[in-house]
Amino acid sequence: MHGHLPFVRHPEHEDFLEEDWLYEAITETYIPLIWVFENLLADKVDFRLTMTLSPTLLSMLTDSLLQERYLKHINELIELAHKEIERTTWQSDFQCLAIMYLNQFCKARDTFLRYNRNLTVAFKNFQDAGKLEIITCGATHGYFPFMDVCRESVRSQVKVAVSHYESIFGRKPRGIWLPECGYHPGHDEILKEAGLRYFFTDSHGILHGTPRPKYGVFAPVYCKGTSVACFARDLESSKQVWSSVEGYPGDYNYREFYRDIGFDLEFEYIKPYIHPDGIRINTGMKYYRITGTSCQKEPYNVERARARAAEHAGNFLFNRQKQVEYLYDFMQKKPILVSPYDAELFGHWWYEGPMWLDFLIRKIAFDQDEIRLITASEYLAENPRNQVVAPSLSSWGWKGYSEMWLQGTNDWIYRHLHTASGRMAELTKGFPDARDLLRRALNQALRELLLAQSSDWAFIMGTGTHVDYAVRRTKEHLLCFNRLCEDIKSNSIDQEWLSEIERKDNIFPNIDYRVHQ
Amino acid sequence: MVIFRKIKEKIKELVERKTKPKEIKPKEIKPKKVKEIKPKKVKAEKIRAGEEAVLPEAKETVFNEEQLAIEKAKYSRPEVVKPKRVLPQELPDRYDYDKIILQVRDLWWLHAYWEIRGTTIEKLKNEFRDEFYKAKRVLRVYDISNIVFNGQNAHGFFDVQVSDYSSSWYIDTGGPGKSWVVDFGLLLSDGRFVTIIRSNIVHTPVEGPSWITDEEWMIPDEMFARLYGMGFGLGQSSPVGKAWQERIKKALFSGVFASPGMASMGSPVKKMPGEKERKFWLVVDCELIVYGATEPDAKVTVQGRPITLRQDGTFSLRFALPDGKQVIPVKAVSSDSIEERTITPTVNRETKSSILVKEEVTK
Repeated sequence: MHGHLPFVRHPEHEDFLEEDWLYEAITETYIPLIWVFENLLADKVDFRLTMTLSPTLLSMLTDSLLQERYLKHINELIELAHKEIERTTWQSDFQCLAIMYLNQFCKARDTFLRYNRNLTVAFKNFQDAGKLEIITCGATHGYFPFMDVCRESVRSQVKVAVSHYESIFGRKPRGIWLPECGYHPGHDEILKEAGLRYFFTDSHGILHGTPRPKYGVFAPVYCKGTSVACFARDLESSKQVWSSVEGYPGDYNYREFYRDIGFDLEFEYIKPYIHPDGIRINTGMKYYRITGTSCQKEPYNVERARARAAEHAGNFLFNRQKQVEYLYDFMQKKPILVSPYDAELFGHWWYEGPMWLDFLIRKIAFDQDEIRLITASEYLAENPRNQVVAPSLSSWGWKGYSEMWLQGTNDWIYRHLHTASGRMAELTKGFPDARDLLRRALNQALRELLLAQSSDWAFIMGTGTHVDYAVRRTKEHLLCFNRLCEDIKSNSIDQEWLSEIERKDNIFPNIDYRVHQ
Repeated sequence: MVIFRKIKEKIKELVERKTKPKEIKPKEIKPKKVKEIKPKKVKAEKIRAGEEAVLPEAKETVFNEEQLAIEKAKYSRPEVVKPKRVLPQELPDRYDYDKIILQVRDLWWLHAYWEIRGTTIEKLKNEFRDEFYKAKRVLRVYDISNIVFNGQNAHGFFDVQVSDYSSSWYIDTGGPGKSWVVDFGLLLSDGRFVTIIRSNIVHTPVEGPSWITDEEWMIPDEMFARLYGMGFGLGQSSPVGKAWQERIKKALFSGVFASPGMASMGSPVKKMPGEKERKFWLVVDCELIVYGATEPDAKVTVQGRPITLRQDGTFSLRFALPDGKQVIPVKAVSSDSIEERTITPTVNRETKSSILVKEEVTK
């Protein structure tokens, strides 16, 4: 499971639209997943999952300003849920849902406070209990294939991520989720330097590797020369969950994402719970099920949805059993199926996702003995002998390569990003051991560069929504970087301004600019 | 729009920060001077560092080369009292280098961007005189697979003519699994090619499985074919050659289960298209507000459920109103329980709807 959100934190504004991405994901995904894992632990159900928590997401989850704001956000939702219970007095179908949301929001707030506002503690506990293997990601989710012309930047993305991970989880990460599964040949060397033992690619990363992989995607391979292991995605199992055509989340009994009371209800009433400018947004309270292809939607029925989630979990397990039987037959070796999903799919988009996961894990634990869950590290410990293959350039994005992040709408950024990377590399070389103010300026320069490199900005420019924001962020960080760079070179660092941007772009407090080499 | 507003606010903030430098008291700012300093007319050297601080309006204008020069001029004069500086709004157009960078977009396509210094262009003009103006600007794309390229030994090359003012280009190589390098240069009228800059080397990935096998990890072709198809989730019968095309054709990449990139932005679950063929629609719903007032210390129930009064004894309740009849007894009991008053509004909602689609008028 891959959990990631870009770093969005705007202390300069009290209410910032894009910060809602985090708040929604906390209420709808991260906390519900924590509940699933807590319940499994409480019921002594054994399970294994490998999960990314990207450094930007971890940074936001541990940021006191955002924690404070989340609390305000969830309190407002609780207030809204109370009002909704009254408003729906004469519509019992909806009222029971309003009550469900109220309970969920209150429980979310309790959980949030129980972990002292720091949800990373929950995930650390699951990892320490041996159930979850948390891996890292690029520091700011930069798309590595487009940093290959300045590998110093790939290195800093990896090394900053690794040391940030260590500061939160108290040990080094064993593996990495390459942002967007973007693998460029040779980057395994950098992973090795950072002590990372494995990464993931999309299926064609291994299938199109050289030489031909004997077991296809059903066993990992070691990269030529570095022995870093590479696992590839199994598309069969991905398809069942991901696919909008045949995937589970489109089931008519499941909750309809696009009918939110933030859009449906009368303006004056809902106004306090949407954006202060009156822009309607999702509140998270949704009363309908997908129903069918028509616009006419039926009220959501929790029990029916729950029953479907259980059925789908059974179906998923059955298909994996069949798949594994078939594979074992002619591989004569235990196959591994890698089924990666974006964490935010569970709960946020697919409301019943956490429920489905809970059913699936319990069924695997109790209903059969053909397949079992395993983390990537455990698999490698049990199966140390693997073929040596050079994986192919690949990503799991649109069309399988890099077009999503390199098209007419976003190709202009690379000229600036590469120039900044080159300048950062020069600075690192020129100041091998800076101190005090100079050191602070160099560290901040690297922060700004990293923030500008987030693949999310290029992605958003490519999709066409929130474009202004993505352009703004790219430019802002690069402009800050450029100015810091000039200041450092001309020995005229503006301390006041530096302090200001240190406060604003406060990610990775312990960053060391020297990793950019 | 919000973002736009935020940006405006930010500009305002920056400007405010900018207009309150310690060195200059706001009173000293002469509005006339503001008008005098139009960035386009003033040469960089003439700008005094302190003066720029009174340029809130200039902030809004697009950052141009003169302003860049102003910035640079300041950096080179550390002895001047340091003013508060405002970040430009735009990234520089040029970075002053001769460079071409090549990147791989996918199996077939490369992307190149480049920049040539004005001085380099001047040198070329001096060297080639009239020929320079007749020459075409060309990207020469060399296939250098499996060789150490020395400028002469490419397997082949092709030229892509680019316009004089372009600084980036997408190149269709038509060749997966190869290595490429690109020269940006001038194609003279006599056919000679003059390289101005050479790119980095890139490799397009192979389209399909490798033909190289590993003795120790041999697998019969037929079995590999099955594994290959299964790896793409296409079942066990897709021939190797076709599985990849099928993955592409079946749109297995096109958002069906390609990563949504940023999970909070794009759902893998598609929005249902619905019935709105003409994209016209109407939604109507009703809510009912029941409100009133009594003694602040009275006990009030609505449809039997106790409600809380405001401090002044007023109350309002808001209900979604479904079709049908609602009888809403509102009962107030005085604090000494001696008096009881009830008012019962009855509301009936009946909703009818009709759709009329006129035939389209064709001219």
